[in-house]
Amino acid sequence: MARKTKSAYKQAPWRRQLQSVGVSLTPLIAIVAVLSIYLIISAQAASAGLEIMDMHYDEEEILRIIANHRTELAWKTSYTEMQKRAEKSGYEVAPAENVHFMIIPGYQGQNPVLLAPPPGSDNTLGPIVNEYYQQSLWDWFYNTFLTTSTPASEVSE
Amino acid sequence: MKKAVFSRLTLTGVVLSTSSLLIILQMLHIQNSTKHQELSQWADEEYSYAIENYTPERGNIYDRWGRLLAGNEDVYELGVMLEFVTNPDTIARTLEGVNNLDYQDVLNVASKEYNEKDSIYAVITDFLPSGVIDVLSDVKQSYEIENPYGKNADLPSLRGLIWSSHLKRSYPENSLASNVLGFYAFRDRQEGMGYYGVEEYYDDLLAGSPMDTFMPRNPYLLESLPEVPAGASLVLTLDREIQAMVEKKLDEALEKYGAVSGTVIVLNPENGEIYAMATQPRINLNEYWKYEDRFKETTPYNRAISETYEPGSVFKVLTMSAAFDAGVVDEEITYYDSGRYEKYDATILNWDRKGHGEQTMQGCMQKSLNVCLAWVANEKLGKEKFYEYLQAFGIGQRTSIDLGGEEIWPLGVPGDSDWYPVQILTNSFGQGVAVTPIQLATAISAVANDGKMMKPHILKAIIQDGKQYNTTPQVLGVPIKAETARLMTDLLVLSLKNETSLALVPGYEIAGKTGTAEIPVEGEYSTDLTNASFAGWGPADDPKFLVYVWLEKPEASPWGSVVAAPLFSEIVKELVVYLDIPPVDAQQSLVAKEG
Repeated sequence: MARKTKSAYKQAPWRRQLQSVGVSLTPLIAIVAVLSIYLIISAQAASAGLEIMDMHYDEEEILRIIANHRTELAWKTSYTEMQKRAEKSGYEVAPAENVHFMIIPGYQGQNPVLLAPPPGSDNTLGPIVNEYYQQSLWDWFYNTFLTTSTPASEVSE
Repeated sequence: MKKAVFSRLTLTGVVLSTSSLLIILQMLHIQNSTKHQELSQWADEEYSYAIENYTPERGNIYDRWGRLLAGNEDVYELGVMLEFVTNPDTIARTLEGVNNLDYQDVLNVASKEYNEKDSIYAVITDFLPSGVIDVLSDVKQSYEIENPYGKNADLPSLRGLIWSSHLKRSYPENSLASNVLGFYAFRDRQEGMGYYGVEEYYDDLLAGSPMDTFMPRNPYLLESLPEVPAGASLVLTLDREIQAMVEKKLDEALEKYGAVSGTVIVLNPENGEIYAMATQPRINLNEYWKYEDRFKETTPYNRAISETYEPGSVFKVLTMSAAFDAGVVDEEITYYDSGRYEKYDATILNWDRKGHGEQTMQGCMQKSLNVCLAWVANEKLGKEKFYEYLQAFGIGQRTSIDLGGEEIWPLGVPGDSDWYPVQILTNSFGQGVAVTPIQLATAISAVANDGKMMKPHILKAIIQDGKQYNTTPQVLGVPIKAETARLMTDLLVLSLKNETSLALVPGYEIAGKTGTAEIPVEGEYSTDLTNASFAGWGPADDPKFLVYVWLEKPEASPWGSVVAAPLFSEIVKELVVYLDIPPVDAQQSLVAKEG
């Protein structure tokens, strides 16, 4: 009788099998989930790295193109070319006796050339890569859930 | 039956477990073997990083208003990857005539045998403009469509032909200011460097720091890529428009007067900035390799800083300034000019071999009397003071102008083995002493700038790391007092007016002095061959420019007053417009209106 009672409370074998499968699979699924996240992040990091490399080459090319365009412009505005254009347009050098001087209030004359900001002026760029993209999963988890401080990038914004 | 199944399952499990265990053991063995470590290290060295030689962009050179005088342009190197060449004949036919290429030469390069060790790539030509590459690219693509991978040897193919871009030095103004800029030998891509002028003097700054950088192949390591800063760019004190005007006027004068060569320096005496420095010969800097065709034998690249010569009477400005400054003469003192001054077994004569009677110091300068100046130097100043002043004016010393190739001629002073007493007489009027044009222009600029001699310089600002650093003018010395300088300026204004000099500029008060120096030929001075010069500055009340003119061996006339003075006047007439300097009457009316 006692045996019968015990049997009545025993779970069905398929349930027990399901439970044991579930229990054994849970850590496996957890590990796979974590690995998947790492894999995705790694893939993204690798992709970003390759993108950086491409951008590096692009930057070199763009700098070359800028230098080339600057020089091309200089060729087109060289003294000889400008003189040709001026002559074609009917301009000629004004002799000193034909030049009239007048006072223009507020005009200080041609300003000295400034091709770049002077030293001391702060025109340095901030970090280009967002802090979020430099964090490990643990850093993100720690910063998001375990600390109450605000991330530096938000403060700076 | 049940037992048999179990046994099979057990056996399978054992086999699989054993295999797995063996695989794991083998992995551990491989992981820890010395061979693995060697291979791993080799792979790290060979494949983890790529060494890239990075040559930063050479800095640009601008004039004082930011107009580009030297920059860089994109050009292409053309070559063949020998492994992939399928039809060398097509390559040779296509490139025949491009950049003066010869069919056979290209064919020889394109037909080279591929060898993995030492024959992978061969250069055909370099410095091709992008337009040519665009055409080649289109042709290559059309051949590739008709004959994919060049498989059909009977059809044309440019397979294997490749190109890569790089920067080349470029001078948009061609020969303008070539003597000042110098050149960068861009055809030598490995060892190229700056020669002469700014390109030589500031070569290190312009070149930046070429370096070998380690580029990680592992994308995870690409967090920070090496930053190689470009070479510094330079802003010069030169004004392109003034430089072009001065070069044009000089060339015209050389032709008109039949001079061998000439030099003109335009500078600001207040701060030593060089506005223009023109000389002959000049070269197109984009074809710098033709240098030897233009500069034969010992012809200096920039006469303004590299050629010493006896300046003649222009030098009297220094002698007379020294005498006034030392207080040994004044405006009232007179000298009776008999036309001869005999001392130290030598006889000094005037340029016209005549005597001019009683003369004030102003008269001595106006008539440019050698006899009077010899008397002033020898009897009023004395040798010690005279040479002290010359040294204070920087004669015999480098001005330290920031251009490559400055030369000097040492000044002989009492006590030197090669100095003789007669030299004080000849030196007083600029003979027996040699200077470069920049030396004398700098010395005379002290008279134009209240006695303060500024260091002549060509660099106005440096642009480095995204910042512009302006240079600060430097004082070389104060050889004379401000009062002396003003007195000399007034005296020379009056001299020019009285002699109705060809150097005069209508409407402007100009101070100046002519010079005609005989040139020694085989130990004797020739009266036919002269150095004709003129140094002048203005406006006299507040000098904003100093122009120094030197014409070498003019045929039309030997006299500075006839050939150099008019050139000075021609230049100044246009210079005052560029510098926005109104004539005296206009200035007075402007001041009156403002008041």
